[in-house]
Amino acid sequence: MERMGSPVCHGGGMTLRTAKKTSGFVLAAWLCTLLGWVVITAAQEDDRGTIQPAQARQALTLIHARCAVCHTTDLIVQQRLPADRWTVTVEKMMHWGADLSKDEAAAVLQFVTARYHPGAPDHLPSIEEELAMIAPAGGPRQGSEGPVTGVASRGAGLYAHNCQACHGEGAAGGAGPKLARNTILKNDGAFWETVLHGRGPMPAWGAVLSHQEIADIHAWLATR
Amino acid sequence: MTVFRREWLRTVLQGIGIGMVVGPGIPSIASAQASEAGQGTGPLTVRVTRPFDAETPVREFASWLTPNERFFTRSHFGPPPADSVKPDAWRLTVKGLVKEELTLNLKDLQQLEAVTLTAVLQCSGNGRAHHRPKVPGVQWERGAVGNAQWTGVRLRDVLQQAGVKPQGVHVQFQGADRPALATVPLFTRSIPLAKALHPDTLLAYEMNGRPLPLLHGAPLRVITPGWMAESCMKWLTEITVRVDETPGYYMQQAYRIPETAVRLSSGLPGSAMVPVEQMPVKSLIAAPAEGDTVRIGPVTIQGVAWAGEAPVVKVEVSCDDGKTWEQARLLGEGQPYAWRQWQFVWNARTPGPTAILCRATDAQGQEQPATSPWNPGGFLWNGWDRLSVTVAA
Repeated sequence: MERMGSPVCHGGGMTLRTAKKTSGFVLAAWLCTLLGWVVITAAQEDDRGTIQPAQARQALTLIHARCAVCHTTDLIVQQRLPADRWTVTVEKMMHWGADLSKDEAAAVLQFVTARYHPGAPDHLPSIEEELAMIAPAGGPRQGSEGPVTGVASRGAGLYAHNCQACHGEGAAGGAGPKLARNTILKNDGAFWETVLHGRGPMPAWGAVLSHQEIADIHAWLATR
Repeated sequence: MTVFRREWLRTVLQGIGIGMVVGPGIPSIASAQASEAGQGTGPLTVRVTRPFDAETPVREFASWLTPNERFFTRSHFGPPPADSVKPDAWRLTVKGLVKEELTLNLKDLQQLEAVTLTAVLQCSGNGRAHHRPKVPGVQWERGAVGNAQWTGVRLRDVLQQAGVKPQGVHVQFQGADRPALATVPLFTRSIPLAKALHPDTLLAYEMNGRPLPLLHGAPLRVITPGWMAESCMKWLTEITVRVDETPGYYMQQAYRIPETAVRLSSGLPGSAMVPVEQMPVKSLIAAPAEGDTVRIGPVTIQGVAWAGEAPVVKVEVSCDDGKTWEQARLLGEGQPYAWRQWQFVWNARTPGPTAILCRATDAQGQEQPATSPWNPGGFLWNGWDRLSVTVAA
């Protein structure tokens, strides 16, 4: 279902819409998944230069966490730019406050230059779809982690680094809702669902933050 | 997650025109749009989810006015919180090189003479996706444009109330929208005083007879008829009269084009960069649609055409991929700044695939070119509109 809104599906417009009408969502979703794999495979074969899976995972994770603070990643996936214009674009975003170290920016630049170049196919999978393929729901860390207890002192820094841009200093709210004394802090199910999988304009953090880090942030928020 | 995204889309779509204007009376329309828009088959084709940048499918341009909920939407940071622009909380300040600073609420403004005009609003980047080589930015295709009726007061009347000092030659606009990060420059723009004092330049509080929807700049936006939409500041809160053009990214770097055409693929501007202002002459085919199959016999082709501050005088149509052209019929009365509907009845005789093209000419003799001059920002695309159809026996 999630893939229904993706550019992958737009690419298969007529076929998929017909499928949806006649055979319903299940078939459409299945076709989307299949088509997604086909497109991803085609995209990877068409990449300029080689991106190792580990590099791709790092770049996708960074794009998802850092670029999506200001804009959704669909804006990135629709670009088809030569290396020089990608370089200028990434530099501009760094100048404007994108939270990337020099090495991280280089990793992002290498990925977008290889993937979204002028000769790339019109339709490519979304960043979120690629993340889901590379690191299935919950991220690779999930299996190794049992129940975790948050540590508020660690959560403060993690919050400032990952959440503050939208939820404001001191969790007082901003583009995103105020989290200090927010009732969601008392509803573990809703809190974890929202952080791991996103909600509305909020991106999913499951592939970016470990469960321990999320628990730390929760512990800190509870003190606000 | 899908459910959450739908809910969010619904909120956004209500912001376009339904929620704020009509209230919760017709949620079914909004929710139907929400489920459709996410798939690009509904009233709007979403290019960027946040900030919400979405264009109108060209079939909607079969109607003269573009409805609010089907009007394209674009901003750099998304709308400000709805509470901050509610009429009781919102204020407009007029400052800078003026004799008397003003702070006005909506009622104060509405004491001035109300003016209504119909004008095309178009994003400078409309058609960016057609530029080759490709350029960065939202990859708009054909629908980041619309024609609406705007009601408001003359900016000139407000400026006269404040009294512009002789040194004041540029008028700067600031809206209430803010970036997620304080390190991102604000979207601040200015227009020359002459355009600001033009009697048709408005501070609009109504769109198609309804209060401005949140996504379209509630409660007040600038309308600079004939000029591209980046001058039409939404969520307006500050007017500052200045001695110079506004400094900063969105005036000095973005929304500028080379004064003379640049060599294709050079990657660099070849001349001085000047601000985007007037819209160039342009036309679109609203029907038939891309990929349609039409029957042999008479086929009605219809569309719209507009130009900046000059009226459109001619629209030509080619049904053989540009080999021959015939003149279309202009419908209704021409109105300054509004688009003109046109129609052409094509007698389709030869079965098989073909391309339908259209091009317009304005009163200054400017003709829509086959492709627009390339520029690094991908602005002002006005190449011939083209769609593929198949004639079936």
